[in-house]
Amino acid sequence: MKPEDQFIQVLENNKGILYKVANAYCKDTEDRKDLVQEIVYQLWKSFDNYNAHYKHSTWIYRIALNVAISFYRKAHVRKGYTDTLTESILEFSDTGFGEETEQQLILLQQFIAELKEMDKALMLLYLEEKSHKEIADIIGISESNVGTKINRIKTVLTQKFSTIKNQF
Amino acid sequence: MNQTEILNIWKAYDKKLDETLLLNKVLTTEVIKLKTKSLLSSMKPIKVFTIFIGLLWVFVVGTIVGNLFLYAYSSVTLFFLISAGIQILLTSIALVIYLYQLHLIQQVDITEPLVKTQKRLTSLKSSTLWVSRILFLQLPLWTTFYLSESMFRSGNMFYILINGTVTILFTFLAVWLFINIRFENRDKKWFKLIFEGKEWTPVMKAMELNHQIENFEKE
Repeated sequence: MKPEDQFIQVLENNKGILYKVANAYCKDTEDRKDLVQEIVYQLWKSFDNYNAHYKHSTWIYRIALNVAISFYRKAHVRKGYTDTLTESILEFSDTGFGEETEQQLILLQQFIAELKEMDKALMLLYLEEKSHKEIADIIGISESNVGTKINRIKTVLTQKFSTIKNQF
Repeated sequence: MNQTEILNIWKAYDKKLDETLLLNKVLTTEVIKLKTKSLLSSMKPIKVFTIFIGLLWVFVVGTIVGNLFLYAYSSVTLFFLISAGIQILLTSIALVIYLYQLHLIQQVDITEPLVKTQKRLTSLKSSTLWVSRILFLQLPLWTTFYLSESMFRSGNMFYILINGTVTILFTFLAVWLFINIRFENRDKKWFKLIFEGKEWTPVMKAMELNHQIENFEKE
């Protein structure tokens, strides 16, 4: 198998990560499209040096989150970057959830959007149910620090949902 | 709503994405073949160009001032030599900062953990403020390089007094700005006035992120 095909296979198996990261860090659809392309490009550039010691998902999360957090810095370069690429790397064959799940998901995404860059990364990894070790590997803080921060996030998240529930 | 219910919402979202999200393979192949300006490679040529121009400036002006000092000391004023000397020194310091930035660009590895990579990237951006601090230090030199000893001997006292006052004010301002241009003062009016504009937004955001990472590392 050619490296390009191997790479596309890895992306295919982890495409959800790209979408979730881009969605959490970019509100604007066009920016999101550009961000996904930037992540894919950076992943490809690092594909040769992929360390098999880590899972593909860990490697993708590291790069995707690093690119997403750094993305704002190259806003001026971004314009025109995808002029020739009007399509989107990720597309939906169908959209829509059940109405109740949809509303709760919107609330959850709103909550994620309000978080600061690093907390956002932590929140995404928590929701993905990654182990403390894997989160520590991706973010670069100690496992005990991951534990403390996740407990804090859990409390805030539960409070937020309870407040909203009480409002309705 | 408890934690399990919240995690279940995310699981449902994940499942839905798995079922409905399509990867455009043709476009992906196009993207990986594109020779695009990427995040860091786009910063490198500007830094290298700035360093080149800076080195050229220091070399040319340094040679002129050095030669004037060695061979034509009597025909130029001490004010000019000292002002030009300090200017060259400050430009050299700014060059060192640019070299440090180039070193940081080389060191950034996007595959490393977030905290490590983002710290390097934010330090890279925030060090731009150091260049501004250094440049402001040059302010008083623009009020002294044209002075001469003869002006003091036979010149207009009123003019010398005005010039001296401006030099003192500029020196005070330059030192004050050098000390006070820092992240903690980002919300002050004067700070916003100096660093207003789109080109400074990424620097300010980088500094905020830097601050955020420092807090994030604490348990």
